[in-house]
Amino acid sequence: MTDDETTADRRDTARPARRHTRRQFLAVGGAAAGAVALAGCSAEQTGDGTGDDGDGTDKNTGDDTDGEDNGTEETPTLTVATYESFIDAPSVSPGEWLKDEFESRFDAELEWATPDNGVNYYIERERSGADLNADLYVGFNTDDLVQIDEELNDGLFAESGDIAGLEAVREGLRFDPFDRAVPFDTGYISLVYNGTQTEAPETFDGLLDDEHRGALIAQNPGSSTTGRAFLLHTVHRFGDGADGAIDGADGDTAYDYLDYWAELQDNDVRVLGSWDNTYSAWSEGEAPMVVSYSTDQVFADMEGADLGEHQIRFLNDQAYANPEGMAVFNGADHPDIAREFMSFMLEPAVQGEIAERNVAFPATDTADLPDDYAALAQEPADPVTFRYEELQGSVSEWVSDWERQFAGN
Amino acid sequence: MTSALLVVAFYYPIGTVLVEAVIVVDGGVTLGVFAEILRDPFYFGELARLFAKESPFAVAPDIVSSDRRLGIIGFTAYQAVLSTIASVALGLPAAYLLARFEFRGRQALRSLTIVPFVLPSIMVAVGFVATFGRNGTLNAVLGAVGLPPVELMFTLEAIVIAHVFYNAPLVARVTTAAWESVDASAVETARSLGAGPIRAFYDVVAPQVYPAVLTGAALTFVFTFGTFPIVLALGGFQLATVEVFIYRFVRDLSYAEAAALAIIELVISLGVLLAYLRYEARNTVRSRGARPLPRRSLFPSAPTARELLPRLGLAGYVVVAGLVFVAPIASMVLASVTGGDGGLTLDHYRFLVDRQRTGTAFQVRPWPAIRNSLTFAGAATLLALPMGVVVAVLTTRRYRGRKLVDAAAMAPLAVSGIIVGLGLLRGLVFGFEVWGWRITVAGSVAIVVAHAVAGYPFVVRTVAPGLAGLDRSLIESARALGASRVRVIRDIELPLVWPGVVAGAAFAFAISIGEFTATVVLATGVDAYTMPVAIERFIGRRLGPATAMGVILLIVTGLSFVVVERLGGESRGL
Repeated sequence: MTDDETTADRRDTARPARRHTRRQFLAVGGAAAGAVALAGCSAEQTGDGTGDDGDGTDKNTGDDTDGEDNGTEETPTLTVATYESFIDAPSVSPGEWLKDEFESRFDAELEWATPDNGVNYYIERERSGADLNADLYVGFNTDDLVQIDEELNDGLFAESGDIAGLEAVREGLRFDPFDRAVPFDTGYISLVYNGTQTEAPETFDGLLDDEHRGALIAQNPGSSTTGRAFLLHTVHRFGDGADGAIDGADGDTAYDYLDYWAELQDNDVRVLGSWDNTYSAWSEGEAPMVVSYSTDQVFADMEGADLGEHQIRFLNDQAYANPEGMAVFNGADHPDIAREFMSFMLEPAVQGEIAERNVAFPATDTADLPDDYAALAQEPADPVTFRYEELQGSVSEWVSDWERQFAGN
Repeated sequence: MTSALLVVAFYYPIGTVLVEAVIVVDGGVTLGVFAEILRDPFYFGELARLFAKESPFAVAPDIVSSDRRLGIIGFTAYQAVLSTIASVALGLPAAYLLARFEFRGRQALRSLTIVPFVLPSIMVAVGFVATFGRNGTLNAVLGAVGLPPVELMFTLEAIVIAHVFYNAPLVARVTTAAWESVDASAVETARSLGAGPIRAFYDVVAPQVYPAVLTGAALTFVFTFGTFPIVLALGGFQLATVEVFIYRFVRDLSYAEAAALAIIELVISLGVLLAYLRYEARNTVRSRGARPLPRRSLFPSAPTARELLPRLGLAGYVVVAGLVFVAPIASMVLASVTGGDGGLTLDHYRFLVDRQRTGTAFQVRPWPAIRNSLTFAGAATLLALPMGVVVAVLTTRRYRGRKLVDAAAMAPLAVSGIIVGLGLLRGLVFGFEVWGWRITVAGSVAIVVAHAVAGYPFVVRTVAPGLAGLDRSLIESARALGASRVRVIRDIELPLVWPGVVAGAAFAFAISIGEFTATVVLATGVDAYTMPVAIERFIGRRLGPATAMGVILLIVTGLSFVVVERLGGESRGL
């Protein structure tokens, strides 16, 4: 408030009240500071040996339920880490169903953990010497695994061991050469376009046509899964240069993915920060094509949208496949229950539910899915993906070379 | 106590991150990462060649040539300067309107100028696409009057306008406060001595308003220099700023590069702040006149040319302001009641109600988000106030290097949000070991600390000028009469600068409500999410639920501010 229209007497009555408020403020402020200092902290002895983070280590933050072992009679709690939309998407997500189903059949409680930044959060905890507070991670890609192994000498995950149902996982999806990751679903990154505004090109080269100038929105490969998959697809298609590791499928070693991106940029491709940014810009009609998932029509159908506005295009009949894996953390409190959970995830009925609720494709070829599922969830004739060995040592360079070219000003 | 808290809660955790810029794997110290960045034209453009020891004579012609490379850092500074100029240009008329005219709803409007400050960038992006997009409001209006459409999205202009949306209200707020404190008698004296109205303005009013404009400009530069999500949402990667790369390096766990870039960003921002503080120290004009200039009615009874001209100018301004500030917010509100078929619907609010009723414990629900936001903001404000006041007292005492202390106290404004989040995560939430004990702090407490640290510089800025202008003799007499130092602060200094304290509290509150980057990193538990985090979670393929949550954020904060400012009484300063 200002004192323009305030009369003198109003100001007089206001003043003692203000001073009162101030005293209260100070008193409460002091108390709050003290309380904050006391309440939120907890301390715990770090044990005799160094690096002893095996069994018996207590949880240390107040908001985590504990995972007591040593044969206590309580129901054990399995802590499953995952990404947010796996348990909490505005449309559908498998988290709730999985938790109810698992708890009804196994003698364990399931607790979800969804730290921001996903797998990196656990890399960070491991590096800091803090307890991981989780038993397994559900939902990482091949490039996450590459990053983990580059950052941590001992990795983050234990070998999967004997998992019932593992043999049903489709051959092309087993992305971990060291048998830690167990794939549980997969998805394809393709073009989604508004068929009422444009007809998407059939090939990568077609995207360079004048007709599609400014027509495509993609995501930053440094921060977005779909953006990275699309970049990797261009590397797969055009290679990473004459002395690079990848020979492009186009057969021209002199023309690499950066050359293609230079032309794409000349043709006014838009690269925004996240999938949210791009999808909302696309929905608002800023451009007729967007890089997204090939399951787009499943959602569109759920929302009752016009499927003509949600068309899928597989460039060169291909799409980049992004299998998602799960694995048990090293030093998990309940490794056995964690492995039971992984078997559970591979059961035909559960595979079907995950695919439908995560709007993805099952990892096994035994999944129970409604017959009409394939009508809306489209799969490319020729799925492409990079193996662990191909990404190792290369993927971060591909991304940063791209950044340097695209943002150079 | 305050300094200890600051050190433990801010400088130490942040320091542990920043120091990674100079540590190599085996524990040695190196400046290699810095050297590499400084010499890299990708970051420093043509300047990099100077750092690479090329002759200035060879580099100079290229720097002034039109196809020079700015580099990421050069570009970041360039867009920050443009944004600052534009924010001042659009903030000043608002200050003129608020400070010099009387009209219905003026006070509410003044309170609401803080609202853009708390809007998460996701919401602003939604509002901007709906307003300035290809099929947006602006083009609809242009089409209706027969003008060709404009393509604003994914351009530098879109980013600058978004920065104006955030920062012009800030400039307006500071400037209004200074303008209101101009003493009417000084102007009348000048006029009676024969100065024309324009001359009186230049000689009396301008010198008192000018420092406040600079405050707004300096803060705007610092904020827009560290801009991040809005750039990639409205501009695109070809317009990436330095914070985009800091963020990416942190996400990629390349801490040496992230820390080195963050330090470079910090040094540039602090340089600007330091320059501004030196200026402020030399130019503080304090005539806390008991009698402010009388406000004029917005609608004069007898229209003359001299009365009409400024009002016509203001009318033009209101049209522009309506487009830049009101239209994006209105578009957001509209999006929250628009269904998939384009018709009006309350479905998105029904979604929120359903989610509240049936959402499981591990899902984000609206009410806990509101409750957490208000609790954290309240606690952060209560923590930021004493911190800010103490630091303000420290920086208004006279000693050598005082300006440096002042600038260091402002550092939280200039440190990259992701670095703050990471530092607190590693330093407090993961815990640190002392004598064989591992001390950890709950995520919610770390959030309050992060918010308080981000907010207290505003308290310093609003309180320090008042303290500096206090009559020293008052304090000395009280001390001579036996009052303790604490007593003097409590009974004399604080009551005199109380309006500044209230203004600082409002800002601390706003910063806390709007903070996203550090919060989302620290809110690892299921019980620590705030409204901006909830908005982000509710974003899906349809914008409806997220915008509905955004409207709730708007309403809750709007109400909070009216309450805070009513409770606090008259406010001044920021």
